[in-house]
Amino acid sequence: MRRRVVPYFLLGPGAAWLLLFFVVPLYYLFELSLNSGVFGSYEFSWHWANYNDALSLYDTQFVRSFKYAGLATVFALLLAYPLAYTIAFKAGRWRNVLLFAVVAPFFTTYLIRTLAWETILSDQSPVVSVLDAVGLAPEGRALATGGAVVAGLTYNFLPFMVLPIYASLERIDVRLIEAGKDLYASASQTFFRVTLPLSAPGVVAGTLLTFIPASGDYVNAQFLGSASNQMIGNVIQSLYLKQSDYPAAAALSFVLMAAILILVLIYIRFAGSEALMGEEAV
Amino acid sequence: MASEKDPRRITALLAVLVAAVVVALGLAACGGGGDSGINGGDTESEEVKLEKKASGDVTISNWPLYIDKQTVPDFEKETGVSVKYIEDVNANEEFFAKMDPLLKQGESGGRSLFVVTDWMANKMHELGYLQNFDKSALPNFEKNLVSNLREPSYDPQREFSAPWQSGMTGIIVRKDLAPDVKSICDLFDPKYKGKVEMLNELRDTVPLVMKCLGIDPTNASEDDWTKAIDKIKSAAESGQIRRFTGNDYGADLTSGNAVAVIGWSGDAVQLQADNPNIEWRMPTEGCILWSDNMVIPIGAPNPTAAEAFIDYVYDPENQAQIEAYVNYVSPVNGVKDVLLKDEPEIAKNQLIFPSDSFTKNCTIQPSPDAEEEQNLNRAFNAVLNG
Repeated sequence: MRRRVVPYFLLGPGAAWLLLFFVVPLYYLFELSLNSGVFGSYEFSWHWANYNDALSLYDTQFVRSFKYAGLATVFALLLAYPLAYTIAFKAGRWRNVLLFAVVAPFFTTYLIRTLAWETILSDQSPVVSVLDAVGLAPEGRALATGGAVVAGLTYNFLPFMVLPIYASLERIDVRLIEAGKDLYASASQTFFRVTLPLSAPGVVAGTLLTFIPASGDYVNAQFLGSASNQMIGNVIQSLYLKQSDYPAAAALSFVLMAAILILVLIYIRFAGSEALMGEEAV
Repeated sequence: MASEKDPRRITALLAVLVAAVVVALGLAACGGGGDSGINGGDTESEEVKLEKKASGDVTISNWPLYIDKQTVPDFEKETGVSVKYIEDVNANEEFFAKMDPLLKQGESGGRSLFVVTDWMANKMHELGYLQNFDKSALPNFEKNLVSNLREPSYDPQREFSAPWQSGMTGIIVRKDLAPDVKSICDLFDPKYKGKVEMLNELRDTVPLVMKCLGIDPTNASEDDWTKAIDKIKSAAESGQIRRFTGNDYGADLTSGNAVAVIGWSGDAVQLQADNPNIEWRMPTEGCILWSDNMVIPIGAPNPTAAEAFIDYVYDPENQAQIEAYVNYVSPVNGVKDVLLKDEPEIAKNQLIFPSDSFTKNCTIQPSPDAEEEQNLNRAFNAVLNG
């Protein structure tokens, strides 16, 4: 009997937290999304047209958000994998220092880190003259462009990519890699047939941890983008705080959640759920 | 580890989640019942009930950096009232979103006084969220309110709103980088492509662009608003407008990322003081004039102390102290004379004490009709979000 109660007891605090801060607000949000009327007198009325509007009015920003988030995820992966690999296998006694360096930016708030990019990419900055010289700043500026938004997203979510990949690389039994070499595999063959598959759970976790928050982000677009680089998060924010159109904002939030969920499900299907489940697949 | 895959456990987990949803629905149902309370559209506001003498505690909500450090302690010393002064109004819409659920229940969240812009004061009044003043406790306000703010269209008797500060919306330029920008129309000059910024405020940016189109923003029709929004839209799409900002345009002007922006007069005073290359330009078409107002919400505890505070800041000596710090336009007569003695620089500044000739083409900030507002808001924000 006792054995059966303990797990529920342990589950209690987490479940209560989830209930209070996720399920309850989610319910209110759902109810709000079906309200109709004008600002000041919204009423619940099963107004499903909010969902149609969300999809038809803001499809551009949806596509743009997933494009920016997708690009940021790819860039973050390309930066993070070699970095995590180096930390896990080559860093030696520098391992902890490097790990700390990855996490260190978190000691500053997200907003300040993003605002710092405003300074880095400012029109008069040396960074921009270099970018201009190599043809990467077409209008003589880097700020207020889509590129700046993607760069900001990549930077801000990089640690979320590095840490899971590092964790899965670090767990690899080096004897497996040695075995690959013993069986006459070249370095690249060993990497692609042993190391990379074994680190797949980290890659899948890292891409999800990057892609999901990046899709809903609005801070980077607000400070680093122009009017034509705004993402779906900016639309939700302006619907709620500028236009006071709460039902439309709520409906759009649900559509965003659903869209991310669908994309993630497809991705997990494609990437193989075993990879996500980690060790059980081994 | 095999036990983790026990199907009974998964069933149990699902049961907990289902229970959670059921409880949540139950909670939500309870919450849904409280809609009664204040009736929207009832513009017959109650008058505040005053006590003989101000005392006790009072909570005041205002915008950030909108008061000097000394006024509140001085007021406390003079009246014996203890003030909790919070700077939690960052934007009208955002503040409304926070207050609306409370005000709907007839509560003010402990606030006795807060400060909102004209159109928001009007909206809150229409919703029945504000109380009328008892003018018997406001002799300074009655006597010293400047004449051009005495009869705004939404509160012709000044029954529920008392201006805190006024200001102008116009052009701020880098005079070294954009010497010849003098009008709103100049902001659309291709020479400054990608170096122009506009405010993300419907009621500031759009009426100014109407002026460039030769439309009088006062009593403008929905069509007029739409025409101006379309002009802004094409400028945003062509890349003429770099981005739409709140008051973070200051940083872009300082760094030179932007050379000409639509901005607020009080910011211009501050920015000019920090950087001599930054300068306010009164648009040849004129500016937009607005006021932020002190209002007493329904359910406000201790309205007596709130009115005492209103009257206190309408004393020219006390107001001068605020004015020297805030640098917007003061709604109180006699402040200029006080400042001429102590701070002549401020008293002679046209942005702080504008003469009638300086603002002759300016327009009181218009607001679209309630029915048009939703559409125009949607159209304008569609431009902001590309």
